[in-house]
Amino acid sequence: MKDCISLTLPTKSEYVSVARLTASVVANNMGFDIESIEDIKVAVGEACNNAVLHGACQEDFEISFLIENSEFIVEVLDCGNGFSVDEYNEPDLMNPGENGLGIFIMRSLMDDVTVKSEVGQGTKIRMVKRLVV
Amino acid sequence: MNVKGGSTMSLKMNKVFQDMDQFWSVELIGDVDIQTSGRLKEELNQLLDQKECDINIDCANLSYIDSTGLGVLIGVLKRVKKSENNILITNAQQNILKLLKITGLDKIFVMK
Repeated sequence: MKDCISLTLPTKSEYVSVARLTASVVANNMGFDIESIEDIKVAVGEACNNAVLHGACQEDFEISFLIENSEFIVEVLDCGNGFSVDEYNEPDLMNPGENGLGIFIMRSLMDDVTVKSEVGQGTKIRMVKRLVV
Repeated sequence: MNVKGGSTMSLKMNKVFQDMDQFWSVELIGDVDIQTSGRLKEELNQLLDQKECDINIDCANLSYIDSTGLGVLIGVLKRVKKSENNILITNAQQNILKLLKITGLDKIFVMK
């Protein structure tokens, strides 16, 4: 059985914390430990940052939290600029740049991350964290 | 020199110039994220405009930082390195340390 929590948030930086807080509460209710809740919070923050920074002049973006069995699934959808996923390069950690860490951090903290994007058509990020009992 | 920072609900910065050892001591309280990182960038650069030297960032009360905040610190590090100075990160909590380790930034900043 799936529970689904959906938010439609303005593409403004001040609302990213709303998504982070909601994710924290849902993850806590599911029984994740503190470290996992922090991981989820950061990953959700990064995904939402992406929507706000690259959402162009779209007014809103969508974030859903799905609870299915022992999986916490986050989907962030924006209808902004999009980007070429094939051209994304992992950051060079020896020579860090000021941008480009977001996807790397999501992939480090969540169990599965898929990014679907096309230039001009927006981006969908799906992330999963599994509850280890 | 004591420069009190401005604050919003989510980020407060206390900035003090340490005369004896000649460095900026910056205490971050709250969250550095996409909403507050711009202000962090502005204020750290303003400190360096006053005096180019090491910056010691006290993270004892920093509860959250994201990639936009880390990007600001990387940018400021590049500036201080030009005058052979450093950014020191002190008293970081576990969640902040984890992020610094994952990104390799614990090897780029001086960690105390």
